Amino acid sequence: MPSSFIRTFLSKRIFWVYVLSGGFVLGAVLLSLIWSSVSIPVGHVVHILSDNVLGWSLMAEVPANEERIIWNIRLPRVLLALCVGASLALAGAAFQGLLRNPLADPYTIGVSSGAALGAVTVIFFQLTIFGLGSFTLPVMAIIGGFLALMLVFGLVKIASRSLAIETIILAGIIMSSFIGAVISLIIALGDQDAMTQIIYWLYGSVGMRGWSHVQLIVPFMLIGMFLLLIHYRELNALALGEEAAEHIGVNVQRGKIVILLGASLLTGASVAVSGMIGFVGLVIPHLVRLISGPNHRHVLPLSLLAGGGFLILADLVSRTIIAPKELPIGVITALIGAPVFALLLIRNRLGKGKTA
Amino acid sequence: MIGIKNLTGGYGNKPVIQNVNFSLEKGEFFGLLGPNGSGKTTLFKLITGALPAAGGEITVDGKPLSGFSKLEKARMIAVLTQEAHVSFDFTVEEIVSLGRYAFQKGLFKSLSRQDRKVIDDVMELTGVTKYRDTQFRLISGGEKQRVLLAKALAQEPKIMLLDEPTNHLDVKHSFHMLDLLKEWQREYGLTVFAILHDLNVAALYADRVALLHEGSFLKTGGVDILRDESLLRQVYEVDVKSQPHPYVPKPQLLMTPEEKADPQKDHFSRSYRVRQNEGLIHIEFNDPLRTISNGVTGEGIQWLNHFCNFHVNKNYDGGDPVDDMTNWMANQGIPPEKAAGMMTAVKLEDMVLLEKEYEGIRLLAMVTAGVGNAVDITSEELDSEIGKIGTINIMVFLDSHFTDGALVNACLSATEAKTKALQDLNIKDPYTGTIATGTSTDSLLIGTTQKVERTPYAGSGTVAGKAIGTAVYDAVTGAVRKYEKRQRRS
Repeated sequence: MPSSFIRTFLSKRIFWVYVLSGGFVLGAVLLSLIWSSVSIPVGHVVHILSDNVLGWSLMAEVPANEERIIWNIRLPRVLLALCVGASLALAGAAFQGLLRNPLADPYTIGVSSGAALGAVTVIFFQLTIFGLGSFTLPVMAIIGGFLALMLVFGLVKIASRSLAIETIILAGIIMSSFIGAVISLIIALGDQDAMTQIIYWLYGSVGMRGWSHVQLIVPFMLIGMFLLLIHYRELNALALGEEAAEHIGVNVQRGKIVILLGASLLTGASVAVSGMIGFVGLVIPHLVRLISGPNHRHVLPLSLLAGGGFLILADLVSRTIIAPKELPIGVITALIGAPVFALLLIRNRLGKGKTA
Repeated sequence: MIGIKNLTGGYGNKPVIQNVNFSLEKGEFFGLLGPNGSGKTTLFKLITGALPAAGGEITVDGKPLSGFSKLEKARMIAVLTQEAHVSFDFTVEEIVSLGRYAFQKGLFKSLSRQDRKVIDDVMELTGVTKYRDTQFRLISGGEKQRVLLAKALAQEPKIMLLDEPTNHLDVKHSFHMLDLLKEWQREYGLTVFAILHDLNVAALYADRVALLHEGSFLKTGGVDILRDESLLRQVYEVDVKSQPHPYVPKPQLLMTPEEKADPQKDHFSRSYRVRQNEGLIHIEFNDPLRTISNGVTGEGIQWLNHFCNFHVNKNYDGGDPVDDMTNWMANQGIPPEKAAGMMTAVKLEDMVLLEKEYEGIRLLAMVTAGVGNAVDITSEELDSEIGKIGTINIMVFLDSHFTDGALVNACLSATEAKTKALQDLNIKDPYTGTIATGTSTDSLLIGTTQKVERTPYAGSGTVAGKAIGTAVYDAVTGAVRKYEKRQRRS
């Protein structure tokens, strides 16, 4: 039967896309571990990893400083980039699916800003919520992001009733500008030291954070991932519009809340550990859709992988391009992402003209 | 199946829908009709649950609809609306697959073999299989609607709710879609509730209809309530004429645009031209006439401009007279779709054409007559040998305005006059030897200008009937005499 043949072919194709994405991530991790100002042979890197993770010593002797560089500095940095990239891309894919808006992304709809405000508040006032300890930072960032999201939605509802694509982006910009001003105010009230720290943090970076930050993001990332990945069918159904989704049996209200919660968790936790890194959530899901088609069953996990790999490479570029100085990673993603965003906006307009 | 009690609701404070009550039987096709703004879509949304009801209750199989979970509802009720916007580049198959959402089980909720089979079946049935891997965005509006129908059918619903399902579709796709729904209704007992904006489509497909007017049902019942012209005028505020469908025992509605009086109405005598030669008598009117006829072409009740009486050889075999006559007309530059045609073997120069006025009614009568086949219709014996020259073709054109009933009256009047003429001329059925009532192949056509006061009567007790009767009597008498004269000469 030809149709089943096509299906097998498609499932085979998608299988290879997964293999390729997995390979991309793994390659990015290794490349990033090896390539730096201090070059370390591949064999040594593999030894250090297997020694520390599995307890297998592959080689007799590796210099202790190499071990320190790989295990204490580079690996957490790479893993953090992986987690942040994966989280942001997944959140972006979810926002785009939920809002039926190809321009949505944690950064463009203001969630990142809200999360940043939450995080800045914690950093500036040295807050610790009782019982949360170091998790105060991501929790506050998540809450900040979620509140900003609700405010943006409220603004859109009042402004246009329908969740029009441009209106959401506009509301996101309004929210970002406002929160940016509030953050500036907080910074201006602080001393010189705090100012530099916060500004640099705001640019977005995954460097100099160590294992503690990896620990901060992982639990939230896992929960957010789980929430979103099990709701891929709801995201597909929402492509029909909320009313039609309801008619095929989707509990739209509950689905929306869970998806928004999951995406906010991912965004908030990412912002808390790495500052504002824009456009990852915008560009990656688009690239993935071009290859895999729009089915969220594949878009979500593939965005996860591609986003992780992408941010690792972006981080690699950010720390090597003007070595020994480092460029904030957010600069790299914005340099790539903003033109893509413009391109999408134009294509969206043109596409509308064609179909209308 | 579905019971709706005192349903009230709408937007804002003032409910659009007020106390609507009705019930749907299992397996029936229920059409919801009403003008724009009558609340059709609001009522629809109240039933689908897209809009919360302010009061009242909806039950399915006796249980309140609110008691069902969303998944249970989706396995029971499918909804098809007119919106056909899908974001992202989903393929047709992916869209149809969404219809199986409520059926997917297990941790990964992937499509089962059964799901796949249903999806394949409904795509085949709706004729969208060939677009399986095409992006939904790229197919035409009609195809999109069929894909969405396939998605709804993939839910294997017991009840289908449709909001103007054929809105963007052309005639072919509309009928295809409705035929399909009708088939599911018959085969699987599907209950259909549809908003239909086209009254004629509703009359053809619905078992029952409801007329919604200002938020409440004005009338509910079989499609025959659409025969109530005054009701429709009240609801739609246009002049509606209900007519039976020619092949299906259902009403069809004709809307009449607001009529403006014709400023320059021709005098009857100047409103037509007659052309005559050996092969054809052609009477052409400037404006179409309302006609009733049993001619070879242009039969039944019509609006026609051209009236033809063709001469044929007496050995004409008449294999396909309609086709032949259409060709003859086309050859003469007469548009066949605007013409009625008769044929006769009688010499056309023996035609009698008379225009007269009777009590203010102007009329024109054209008769050609031959009585070789004269028949007494009241005799039980039947002569199987036909083929001699002899048929009486009568056309009567009046400056009157007849209803359909009056046209039938006019036929009676003309026939009675013809029979009386034959009687007075002592024309006999050569087979039985009794007085003939006509010939075996007589044709009759009555045409009226419809430009004066309308009358429902044209029988023998009316001026119009008398006008027809006297004219036909005179013309038939004259034509038969000419025929007999020619017979005697030869």
